[in-house]
Amino acid sequence: MEDVVKLQKLSVKKMKGVSAEDMALRPDLVAALHHRIQSIPVPDGGSGEGGTAGQNGARTGIQFDSSAETLDEGYFQTSEESEAFRREYEMRRIKQDEGLDFISEGLDTLKNLAEDMSEELDRQVPLMDEIDRKVDKANSELRKTNVRLKETVNQFRSTRNFTVDIILICVILGIGAYLYNVLSQ
Amino acid sequence: MSSSSSDPEKLMAKADKLTKLSFTRWNADWKSATALYEQAAIAYKFRKDNVKAKDAFEKASKGQEMISSPWDAAKHMESAAALAKELGLWNEVSDFYRRASEFYRECGRSQPASDALAKGASALEDKAPEEAIKLYDDACVLLEDDGKEQMAFDLYRAAASLYVKLEKYSDAAAFHLRLGSAADKSNAVNSQCKAYLSAIIIYLYAHDFQQAQKCYNDCSEVQGFLNSEQNRCAMKLLAAYEEGDAEEIKRAAQSSTINHLDHVVIRLARKLPTGDLQAIKKVLPGGDGDDLDEDDLT
Repeated sequence: MEDVVKLQKLSVKKMKGVSAEDMALRPDLVAALHHRIQSIPVPDGGSGEGGTAGQNGARTGIQFDSSAETLDEGYFQTSEESEAFRREYEMRRIKQDEGLDFISEGLDTLKNLAEDMSEELDRQVPLMDEIDRKVDKANSELRKTNVRLKETVNQFRSTRNFTVDIILICVILGIGAYLYNVLSQ
Repeated sequence: MSSSSSDPEKLMAKADKLTKLSFTRWNADWKSATALYEQAAIAYKFRKDNVKAKDAFEKASKGQEMISSPWDAAKHMESAAALAKELGLWNEVSDFYRRASEFYRECGRSQPASDALAKGASALEDKAPEEAIKLYDDACVLLEDDGKEQMAFDLYRAAASLYVKLEKYSDAAAFHLRLGSAADKSNAVNSQCKAYLSAIIIYLYAHDFQQAQKCYNDCSEVQGFLNSEQNRCAMKLLAAYEEGDAEEIKRAAQSSTINHLDHVVIRLARKLPTGDLQAIKKVLPGGDGDDLDEDDLT
């Protein structure tokens, strides 16, 4: 509030390079500023305003005291803490870069492997088709052969041939027995 | 019978008798002779008598040829060749593998034919590299003729490595370019790009910068190469060479892209730069200057 008073005093003072209209306007500007500052509500520990009061409380805590005394050498001097913080930040960034480089190398290798695998599979595809075709052919031939074999076996087992076989066997046994009798006499 | 089946000498003698034409025998009985030869060969192999086993396999193969089954003939030839390799009879190795390949081709199977030649080539790599190169070349030609270049990639790489060992760098690079065109036909972009990069590196190792530049320009025509990682690596390498900056060349040659190539090529890349970089620099601006002057005059 004292600063506004100072500003008022300054506004009335005559300055070089300031036109007459500006001089007239200045007191009005100062009064408007004063009014605006007044209109900012101040928190009084009252729970009515809640959040906005808290915000404003923070704002009233802000002081634009960038006067000459504070803008001296020491103001922009880096303190120990900030120096250490900066160093740590750099270290972490370097470590991160190293890690990312490592990952990038691994990904390169993976990419190469994947592309080689893809080419190999492309190579295998026509071979698989060939195998498929040959196996199908072999399969169908096997089935045909099986069917024919079944027919042949069935024919063989039919009773007509069987009876002929039995009769012939009996005839041969008869002849054998007769010869045996003849020879053993 | 059991005694003769376990005594290979007797089997061989019997088989020889069956095949030798004489007064009483007008047609040789190859079928049974072949069976006997095969038994004898297996028995000899079991006894680790490589010389006789090889002979027996050779005769068995002849027998199979006579009864017109080239597949079995080829298989026996290959066994004979493997035994010849053990015995160190290098010209026989090459001869047998070539004959085996002929038989396979008779069957119309190009893949086993080229495999037989490749086996022969890898057996002869140390002892008779010239012959090995010829075998690799024939194997690749076989597959190319049959349109099966995809199977030939490994053969190309092996042949190129052999050329590098013999220090015939332009031939090695030529083989890589052949690989590249084969890969192009079978749409294997990654192999193609790697092949082109390998060729460029080999030319640079042979200190033939003009050739490397020309190679790079030819390869840049191919769209697939232009967009690839390998292209970027080649560009970096050639730019480093143009500047004559040895450190830059070394750095470009250590890049991870090169680590995915054939290890022979990686070894060459690690040894870059070779020779005198200043000589390259002298060659380059001279050429460029002349061109500019001609343009300026016109």
